[in-house]
Amino acid sequence: MNESLLFLIPLLPLCCAVINMVFGMRLPRLFAEVLAVTGVAGAFVLTLLFWGYAEGEGTRAVLFTWLNSGSVDISFALNFDRLAAPMTLMVTGVASLIHLYAVGYMHEEEDYARFFSLLNLFVFAMLAIILADNLLVLFLGWEGVGLCSYGLIGFWYRKLENAKAGVKAFLVTRVGDVFLAIALLWLFAITGTLSISEINAQATSISPSVVIAVSLLLLLGACGKSAQLPLMTWLADAMAGPTPVSALIHAATMVTAGVYLLCRLFPLVSLSPVAMTAITAIGALTAIYAATCALAQREIKRVLAYSTMSQVGYMFMAVGAGSVAGAMFHLLTHAFFKAVLFMAAGCVIHLAGEENDIFKMGGLTRRGPVELFWVFLAGAVCLAGLPLTGGFFSKDGILLALFTHPDPFYRVFWLIGVITALLTAFYTFRLVYLVFAGEYRGVGHPHALPLLMRWPLWPLAFIGLLGGLLNLPAFVGGSETLHHWYDNLAGRRVIASHEVEWMLILLAVAIAAVGWFAAHWRYRIYRAPQANALSRFLLNGWYADTIVDRLFVRPFAAMGRFCSSGCDRTLFDGTLNGLAKMATGWSSLIVQMTTGRLTTYLSAFAWGFLVLLGWFLLKLVSGGGH
Amino acid sequence: MTELTSLPQFPWLSLLVVLPLAGALLCLMHRKRPADCRALSLATSLAVFGVALYLFICHGQGEGRWLLYEDVSWIERYGARYVLALDGIALLMVLLTSFMQVSAVLLAWRVERHVSSFFALLLLLEAGLMGIFLAYDLVLFYLFWEVALIPMFFLISVWGGANRRQAALKFFLYTLVGSFFMLIAIIALYQIHGAQSGVYSFVIGDLLQTQLTAAQEGWLFAGFMAAFIVKSPLVPFHTWLTDALTESPAAGSLDLTGLLLKTGIYGLIRVAFPLFPNATESFLPILAVFALVGLFHAAWSAYHQDDIKRLLAYSSISHLGLVVLGLAAWQLTAWEGSILLMVTHGITTGALFVLVALIQERTGTRSMKELGGLWGQTPCLGFLFLLFSLASLGLPGLANFAGEILVLLGTFQQHPFWAVIALLGVVFAAAYMLRLVQGVLWGPVYKERSLPDLTLREWIILLPMAILVVWMGVYPEPFLAPMHGTVASLLAGGLP
Amino acid sequence: MMIPFGHALAFAAALFVLGLTCVLLRRQVIMILVGVEIMLNAASLVFVAASAYWQQADGQVFVIILMAITAAEVAVALAMVVYLWRRKRSLVADVFNGMRG
Repeated sequence: MNESLLFLIPLLPLCCAVINMVFGMRLPRLFAEVLAVTGVAGAFVLTLLFWGYAEGEGTRAVLFTWLNSGSVDISFALNFDRLAAPMTLMVTGVASLIHLYAVGYMHEEEDYARFFSLLNLFVFAMLAIILADNLLVLFLGWEGVGLCSYGLIGFWYRKLENAKAGVKAFLVTRVGDVFLAIALLWLFAITGTLSISEINAQATSISPSVVIAVSLLLLLGACGKSAQLPLMTWLADAMAGPTPVSALIHAATMVTAGVYLLCRLFPLVSLSPVAMTAITAIGALTAIYAATCALAQREIKRVLAYSTMSQVGYMFMAVGAGSVAGAMFHLLTHAFFKAVLFMAAGCVIHLAGEENDIFKMGGLTRRGPVELFWVFLAGAVCLAGLPLTGGFFSKDGILLALFTHPDPFYRVFWLIGVITALLTAFYTFRLVYLVFAGEYRGVGHPHALPLLMRWPLWPLAFIGLLGGLLNLPAFVGGSETLHHWYDNLAGRRVIASHEVEWMLILLAVAIAAVGWFAAHWRYRIYRAPQANALSRFLLNGWYADTIVDRLFVRPFAAMGRFCSSGCDRTLFDGTLNGLAKMATGWSSLIVQMTTGRLTTYLSAFAWGFLVLLGWFLLKLVSGGGH
Repeated sequence: MTELTSLPQFPWLSLLVVLPLAGALLCLMHRKRPADCRALSLATSLAVFGVALYLFICHGQGEGRWLLYEDVSWIERYGARYVLALDGIALLMVLLTSFMQVSAVLLAWRVERHVSSFFALLLLLEAGLMGIFLAYDLVLFYLFWEVALIPMFFLISVWGGANRRQAALKFFLYTLVGSFFMLIAIIALYQIHGAQSGVYSFVIGDLLQTQLTAAQEGWLFAGFMAAFIVKSPLVPFHTWLTDALTESPAAGSLDLTGLLLKTGIYGLIRVAFPLFPNATESFLPILAVFALVGLFHAAWSAYHQDDIKRLLAYSSISHLGLVVLGLAAWQLTAWEGSILLMVTHGITTGALFVLVALIQERTGTRSMKELGGLWGQTPCLGFLFLLFSLASLGLPGLANFAGEILVLLGTFQQHPFWAVIALLGVVFAAAYMLRLVQGVLWGPVYKERSLPDLTLREWIILLPMAILVVWMGVYPEPFLAPMHGTVASLLAGGLP
Repeated sequence: MMIPFGHALAFAAALFVLGLTCVLLRRQVIMILVGVEIMLNAASLVFVAASAYWQQADGQVFVIILMAITAAEVAVALAMVVYLWRRKRSLVADVFNGMRG
């Protein structure tokens, strides 16, 4: 098969998106929905069909030249290699299931064409990021996912808060994009190319200080999309969007784009220990920050949002520790169980009568279909890292990589990771108990759950639980499939003695158990939440929003006022008006000479005549002196 | 230049200038029949667009400095010749002008008062603009420069908004003062050249060889820059534009932002930089500072605005700041990006002004406080508004991004610091554009009004622009190709 | 018996100055015209004296022409005076300041 057919993978969702955009409302609803699902499912099938292309060195396909000017020669090209293939499969697969879920979730929505076309467009943009051969196509996808998340978060635009949440997401990620763009420009200036594979090949010939700078810029760019410190304020508010959006964008795909970027450029980024430490540090700090915030959240989706932030922090820590395979492993398992959690949360919200507050829920095992509880629990145990689940192995892999890192400073990060794991278990089971245990505390009426909202959860829960098989560590008898698949792209090979490995596993089990018991002790029997200063602090995300508002938003608006009213109106226009007034002032002075009176003019005559006469006489006298 | 005197072929370039003039005259003769005037001006502008398209397709690739060249003797006594010259950059500008004029004529279809005069002025404006882009003789250039000014003044002061008299007068006097200094510089250059070489000529090609002392060059350059800086516009000489754009009628804003502003920058490329290479070299950093200050100042001011037309006026200034930055970088990729950005900016911002005019027609207001939730009421209009706003803020895959990224890539290679600062301005563009979209499209509906969605005429105006926006974002190659040779030779400074 | 040329010139100059004074200082339009007349007569006097001095008839011829011109001018001027009177019922020169500013 021709390798240009690889372009069908991203183009299929794009075409379906465009068709839905233009014709969606005129076609029967079923047609639009089927089209949307086919777009993504078709891409999934194509990825499976073309899987062989990814083996070995991968396959590169070029569509046509995008920009050609001077030394710039960039085409639309994609690179289907061993790093991209599993990610593509995951994105298209999870997206297909979420599309099915969304069909059920949005069955009462009138504006469905816009929703499904944006969802498909998002998948296209994400695939552009994953499959991009050069950084400019990646940037196209990068901005594209930003745009789609803006459109999807603010989907119910009639409420101003939703629109504002969308704007916030766009702007905060755009700040990150600036750093990515600077890195892009810099890399082009140094290497003369934007092709990722060539940059990675030339990485060793770039001077170390430049490598550090570029890596830090890439890190900041990744932080924007992955909602890591300091660009994380948008993720919690992004929960204003419909639940399928949160599941797709903020669990499985967009927030992992940053991790993927760093993995893609790993040969460059890994050259600098400073950058790697920075990546790990940011991951660690974000992980613990988000975990503490999740402890105090009241809305179910916000808990999950902060937990996503925390888990992506783990992925960053893995990259920083040098293990690409570990990061991607956790990325894949996290996608599965977090998507399940979000979708189940959507069902839960439906059952609670559109109520978001977990303190007003409870006893939902009995209110809804019983399978919902089991599915939610499956996701929760993966998140908490209970033994033998997918989340357990992936998280343990990361902690092992941190623990066995040559640099002893990484033990600090390992410790932070361990503490965060404890907190994770705690808030996860807090969530489970508050939502499902005890008696129903709210006043809402349950809405019926369409079938499409229930059965896509099963495959995902299943895969999430069994996800450990992807990269089962050798010492428990596994074959480390993922690591071997990535081969030379996998980063550092984590070698540890059996004692260390067993010790860490036991520690992980102990932590999960402790966290569970603590949550059980605190939340099994319902107690009203305390509203003290600490919980408010954590609830508001350590007041990060307020800080950003004071530090950036207000001065920005003030500067706008200054430029517009202060400078333009007062200074520039004022100067011009002043000049004009001066001119009119002079003219009104001079105009006093024209009195319109005959006598004035006659006297002017006479005086002028006298002056002329005097001048002539003077000339005569001085001339006659010779 | 001697080998390129009048080629015995059809005078396409003169046709570009004469057709609109003829159309204008015919319009004036049909005062009593407004329907005829409309049809006539549409036919004329379509004919001009056809000629421009023909030139683009058939003469777009040429060897040598010029694609087409027409040279006829005019005022022999003073050495002023009628010289029209077309190269890659002028070709793009001509194409843009003719395209935007068709849209302007369609947009002005519903003008009620003094219809024949309105269309006559529009066509006269087109003739003037074509002349500016094509003229290669300084007297001819100056003539067309002023010719383009007068119809704009009348368009604003007769058919404009509430504050039109002041805005029109400000616009006129401001740009006139600038061009007055240019006139002095033209005459001075003419005299110096004539005294040196014995040949008194106004043709730019001849004047390129003038030997100037540093002081002379500095002053003459300043004279020309006075006109171009005001027209570009560069902050702090931009306040005329915000008022003029806000108060002018819809078709007038389209022309003003899409075309008239480009003449200032075009003047830099065609006249100021080639004639005074040393002064240019020393001035480039200052130009970059002006450009960056303009980028940020305009972006901040845009963020503060409530009137959507004024916001778009400031966004124009901001984008053109980026264009001038690309020019100041003096690098091939940056120059090509700047010129491409000029073209795409004309289309995207022009389309946004069209949409604002449509919104104002329907809702009667331009204030964001009184708009909102328009997406639900007029989905097609809302979608196009979103599309062009995204293009304007530089979303990859849409028009402005191609130009912007080329400018940034090129600038970074020469002056990385400038490119980094300019990138920050990109975030600002997102801030005010999203604020615009939010104020107009999202949020609760301000007042329940029954608003018709786009009519056929409006679709005809906007759909080609939308297609172009996507085309130029994804495949700008046809528009970049004519420029390569021209830009390379302009930057090298060596001209035939 | 010849009157010295200088005497005639001095006399004409004095007459001219008197006429000028009349023009400048009088408010009434007719009086201004009288002043103009006096100035014209002073000029004719110079012509006559010059003709006598240089024994040529050209000066005296010119004086006759001047008288004719003066008569025509007075006719037109007085017609204007009549018109002005009808416009504003007053003949003070300062009243007619429509060209002010």
